[in-house]
Amino acid sequence: MSPSRLLRDSLRSLRRHRLRSASIMIGSLVGVAALTFVLDVGQGLRRKMLTTVQQIFGDSSVVVVAGGMQLVDGPRPDAARLTIDDIAAAAAAVPAVVDWDPQQVQIVSVRCAGNTATARVLGQSERAGKVWARTVSRGRFFDAADVQRRERVALIGETLVRDLFAGADPLGAEIMVDAVPFTVVGVLERFGTDLHGMDRDNEIVVPVSTLMRRLANVDTISVAKLLIGDPAQNAAAAAQIREALRSRHALLQGQPDDFTLLTPSEVRQLLGKMQRIVTVYLPLASVVVLLVAGLIAATLMAGAVNARVAEIGVRRAIGACPADIARQFVAESAFTMLGGGLLGILLGSAAAQLVARRLDLGAVLSLRVALLGLALALVTGLLAGVVPALRAARLRPVDALR
Amino acid sequence: MIELEDIEKTYTRPGAAPVHALAGVSLHIASGEFVAIVGTSGSGKSTLMNIIGTLDQPTAGRYRFERTDVAQLDVAAQARFRNRHLGFVFQAFHLLPRASALENVELPLLYSGNEPPAGAGRRALEAVGLADRLHHKPTELSGGQQQRVAIARALVNEPTLLLADEPTGNLDPKSADDILDLFEALNRNGRTVILVTHDQRVAARARRVIRIDAGRVASDEVRDFAHTAAREETR
Repeated sequence: MSPSRLLRDSLRSLRRHRLRSASIMIGSLVGVAALTFVLDVGQGLRRKMLTTVQQIFGDSSVVVVAGGMQLVDGPRPDAARLTIDDIAAAAAAVPAVVDWDPQQVQIVSVRCAGNTATARVLGQSERAGKVWARTVSRGRFFDAADVQRRERVALIGETLVRDLFAGADPLGAEIMVDAVPFTVVGVLERFGTDLHGMDRDNEIVVPVSTLMRRLANVDTISVAKLLIGDPAQNAAAAAQIREALRSRHALLQGQPDDFTLLTPSEVRQLLGKMQRIVTVYLPLASVVVLLVAGLIAATLMAGAVNARVAEIGVRRAIGACPADIARQFVAESAFTMLGGGLLGILLGSAAAQLVARRLDLGAVLSLRVALLGLALALVTGLLAGVVPALRAARLRPVDALR
Repeated sequence: MIELEDIEKTYTRPGAAPVHALAGVSLHIASGEFVAIVGTSGSGKSTLMNIIGTLDQPTAGRYRFERTDVAQLDVAAQARFRNRHLGFVFQAFHLLPRASALENVELPLLYSGNEPPAGAGRRALEAVGLADRLHHKPTELSGGQQQRVAIARALVNEPTLLLADEPTGNLDPKSADDILDLFEALNRNGRTVILVTHDQRVAARARRVIRIDAGRVASDEVRDFAHTAAREETR
């Protein structure tokens, strides 16, 4: 039988057995959709993690977080006693540190001319632009004198420009941060969302001294970043910084750190573990779903062979050889799984696209992933069809027609 | 056309005595004949039919079809042989229930080597008087109409031999008569027709009646003039 006739005949047969075809297709659809989704989103997440790590750490740095380890939810609100003086002392003690910036954070409500928004306020030093590699796109960054005098000057992100000023020029305007008036002196460079899906353009940066005294009323900071001049010395510098901080906090040997040091390599390692979940285990789980779909398909095809014994007999009588019968059932199984796979790719891609937009992952759809999904669906379908098909082909025409 | 020599078919089952379904059948059937194979159930008539149709293999003996030893062909070659030379009609019609009349009739074209002539299925259905039922499903047709679809399917590849196994067994007398008329007409146009039946009135329509009993040919009569009278009787 020619391939085109086989295709035509299989498609007709699928149409004649809609319920069975639909059941097989749903399995394949779910499996391939899941696979497409996790691979596409996984790739996007992976890229996003690498970008974020680069954004946070730059080429070479050490980040100190007050309190214990907490990577996922940002700095702890009840962070222990980490002060600007601690960081200044550590920076002075470690020659590899070329620059540093303290940071304290607070969630506030912001008002301006009747518009209200909720935003994150970061208190930072005048060196923040260089240390965190994020400066202003309009206006000016505050300077050392502003920090010294605890001036009420603020840099705001583009989301706030939109929400509070409807896109109008915010420079020079006065905004109320909680109950404290600030003057907008600059607009922060666009950042996008970070790993947690947080909008980093919905931020206000003010002098850390102003934040500590006027908004948060604390003496401590939550995070600090120390730039290391030579990437090769990063690990050594981190160890020296740890020692300096431990001695300032008078920690005895055996006592745990009351701060956490993050270095780019450690963070990459940690993210690597999370990545493995996304790029290995989730796809594996989807493949298992596809395998289950294949088993269901095999069972349904076996049922189809039983239900269509007379048809098999007739086909043999009118000129089908055993190989034709086998091919027919393999083709039916393969085409059904393939059809489900095609729909699954559409569904999975759409879902991936939706999630990617929410998490700001950029383009995530990949032709390779789509082809992989299709190939797996096809192979599963072929395999699922083999056993029932062989059984169908082995039926003797006399028995089938009885 | 068909030469059977000492055809035997023995079924052996472990733990049971072998059953001789056919115990040495020799027959010659010429092109253009209208033959009824009759016998009681278990006589071996269906086994004989299956062997002539290459749906079953003889355990011994020789079967030549137009000088080809078809029993010696491999399965694929036998399938091609059936597709090209034989048309089957079954008691239970055996139509694909979810396919239209036309799709059912075109099924054998699927397995014929070269591209079939356009409209072959439609012409076959017209030949059996079902030109207006092309797209009906079997469930939408009467028993007689279903059997005519099955005959159209048997004819679509223009076979030389038509094999019918109790073709009227599931039909009311009127439809049965119509089907037998159709077989007669096909036979008049030169097709060889072999039908298996246990019904004397059906057998009476054939020109030659071969009676099988206990796996052997019990009688073989050519009744050239008798069949017209018998036909009056069935009415």
